[in-house]
Amino acid sequence: MQGIPIILAIVVMNFFLLNLAEGDAVDVLAGEAGSATPEYMEKMRAKFGLDQPLPVQLAVYLKNVVQLDLGYSFRHEMPVHELIFDRFWATLLLMTSTIILAVGFGILLGLFAAVNLNTWKDALISVFALITYATPLFWVGLMMIIVFSIKNDWFPTSGMENSAAFYEGFDRVKDIAHHLVLPTITLSLFYLALYTRMMRASMLEQYGQDYVVTARAKGLSERRITFVHVLRNALLPVVTMAGVQVGALIGGSVIVESVFAWPGLGMLAFESLFARDLNLLLGIFLLSSVLVVAVNLVVDVIYCFLDPRIEVN
Amino acid sequence: MKITKFMNAVMMTAAITFGGGAVQAQQSGGSLVFLVQPEPPTMAGYVSTSGPIGLLGPKIYDGLFDYDNDGKMIPVLAESVDMSEDGKTVTFNLRKGVTWHDGKPFTSADVQFTIMDVLKKVHPRGPNSFKEVSSIDTPDAHTVVLNLDNPAPYMLRALSAYESPMVPKHLLEGEDIKSAKLANNPVGTGPFKFTEWKKGQYIRLDKNETYWKEGRPYIDRIVGRFIPDASTRASAMEKGEVLYAAYNAVSNVEAVRLNKEKDNISITTDGYSMINPMALIEFNTKEGPFTDAVVRRAISTAIDRQFMLDTIFFGYGNPATSALSSNFAATGLHAEMPHYPANGDVAAANKMLDDAGYKKDSDGVRMTAMFDLIPYGEDWKRGGQYIQQVLGEIGIQVELRYEDVPTWLKRIYHNYDFEMNLNYFYQLADPVLGVHRHYGTNMIRKGTHFVNSSRYSNAGLDALLGAGMKEPNAESRSAIYLEIQNILARDMPVVNLFELEFLTVYNTKLKGAYGSAMGAYSSFGDAYLEE
Repeated sequence: MQGIPIILAIVVMNFFLLNLAEGDAVDVLAGEAGSATPEYMEKMRAKFGLDQPLPVQLAVYLKNVVQLDLGYSFRHEMPVHELIFDRFWATLLLMTSTIILAVGFGILLGLFAAVNLNTWKDALISVFALITYATPLFWVGLMMIIVFSIKNDWFPTSGMENSAAFYEGFDRVKDIAHHLVLPTITLSLFYLALYTRMMRASMLEQYGQDYVVTARAKGLSERRITFVHVLRNALLPVVTMAGVQVGALIGGSVIVESVFAWPGLGMLAFESLFARDLNLLLGIFLLSSVLVVAVNLVVDVIYCFLDPRIEVN
Repeated sequence: MKITKFMNAVMMTAAITFGGGAVQAQQSGGSLVFLVQPEPPTMAGYVSTSGPIGLLGPKIYDGLFDYDNDGKMIPVLAESVDMSEDGKTVTFNLRKGVTWHDGKPFTSADVQFTIMDVLKKVHPRGPNSFKEVSSIDTPDAHTVVLNLDNPAPYMLRALSAYESPMVPKHLLEGEDIKSAKLANNPVGTGPFKFTEWKKGQYIRLDKNETYWKEGRPYIDRIVGRFIPDASTRASAMEKGEVLYAAYNAVSNVEAVRLNKEKDNISITTDGYSMINPMALIEFNTKEGPFTDAVVRRAISTAIDRQFMLDTIFFGYGNPATSALSSNFAATGLHAEMPHYPANGDVAAANKMLDDAGYKKDSDGVRMTAMFDLIPYGEDWKRGGQYIQQVLGEIGIQVELRYEDVPTWLKRIYHNYDFEMNLNYFYQLADPVLGVHRHYGTNMIRKGTHFVNSSRYSNAGLDALLGAGMKEPNAESRSAIYLEIQNILARDMPVVNLFELEFLTVYNTKLKGAYGSAMGAYSSFGDAYLEE
């Protein structure tokens, strides 16, 4: 319930922030056209409602949002919700596969490093994590394309599906999965490093706790201590982090979406900013904030499973 | 009425086209995937001349004519055109048996509606191209008579599918044309039908089985793909995922590399002569350091145009020698002017400024200024850096400013808050269509983009521009434009730098897509894939 005022506050703030930018959608449209008469531009402004004072524009927008109407993108001549939901599935696909890969492997590697503390295995994992964390995403993406797409013809360079063949049914699913591999790996690498380091630190912290000493004194095996006691507690901060990062993933995937021409929300937001398509941009921000609030709810539920002491009221 | 020389050109071209078609053995079928960069906002080519719309629109909508690489008219929806002796009546004879993609017949009423209610009203350039058209008669379903207030010979250069697409009256009449559903669901008479637009991915067009031209198009499907990242675009080209990329969608550096390394990839500079892009510097002639024409002439004299072309644009382009592009030489509208040295002359420029009394201070600086750069990518930044260096040598210290597109447009064309601005303009197929807007007093229009931002105003020049517009006689017209070029070489509100040559990169299995002067903005009806 607290989520709703937060989301409304985000909408109002975004609205004023975005209106600080010079130029409007009409300037961009007319600029792209190469030339346009002033009468034409005036007519367009009136049509888009851009000739109204800002508070009026905001009131109109808020009224529409409350009625679950995200408005109309004059640039695309389409309702905003259609544009967003078209792209939402692509983002969701990339995001889900990335989180599963990054969190899953991050936990495994972190666990492995912590168990083998200060051996060459630990050092190797730490170096790997450091390098992937420090490498720019766009560079990784381009190298992936050069190595796995051009030098070795294993994966397509970009896009979400084959636009010469237009597969249908199960072939299409396979085709999309094929296109998903490189962007997912690229985007995962960065987050993978983060979760690995975090998991390792969290495991080490838990090993130092009193309950581990108690467990050892009880005569439990190291294996049982690690997997049943330490692992569950060590997961809490990682899960929290994953919840927070869902929001960042939507924005942070702009680079990967751009390099692999993945038709997600990040790219749409990026383009609509430069086109000053504020209705569309506000819609995307709204969806992201709803998504972040929703995911954090899910995270709270996961807490209860990991730690029975936490209860959902 | 008399058949003009245009008609002869038309008939000759038609003969050549048909002759050629019979000899070659074209293959039918296949998908042509090509790069469209960036993704267009809509598909309404009748409302916007935006580049990416131009790449797709002419595949769906036909024009009355197309133009071959020598500028001759190729009949498309109009089979011929007659112009009366006084130039004030233009008659189009339309092709019979043409239908829209929804099955309705294409008639003279569509042409009348398109020109009077669409192009003249909502098209960005249409009000100029069809300025003189006062009314249109349709004596029968296949004859269109344009009544002109004054002769408008340039109008016949603006009839391509990109510049003036013919749109269906039955789908637009009574609607608000700018927001009509047609924008995202185009219905034309062209060789390809609109099928699907996956935002962020591609636009798919399928073969129009009932196209008026027998046996065309050859290709089954055209897909315009959007790839935001320049390096990925080059990779997709290299891998053969896309077969065609125009308007530098693949950057010059990658294009030259692919051309060299890959046997199946070639490059061409053809297909841009009707667009005629010209790189230039606009000056604020009302305020700031560049109100004196001497300074502007000195800047033009100092810049080494050939060096800029060679180092930044891989040699693709020609140094400008006048306010008008040398592509207009074919119609006698170009002459070489002073103060346009290809290699730049810093000493002469310094002398010009010394003689005019602009003294250097102890640091060798005569004046300082802000230099805005067109925000269309790295090439323009580098161009700005070179000019900054050269101007330093003649004592003009400039600071570079690079902003995002809306901010920049607002600064230059709305607030006039600039001193000098690096830019490029399309000079199009005739000076009236592309150049007049840059110099006429009536084109000082606050808030309108790509017009007279210098706010240069010269009554003598205005009169000449007006005369050049109406003059039907080629020789007299040539004399008028010579005088115009002289005035502009003296006053230089705008310093032209070089005629840009855009590169088209293509996979050699794509054939037959290069016969039109409109290049990538043509229909691809004759294109075919050789496996």
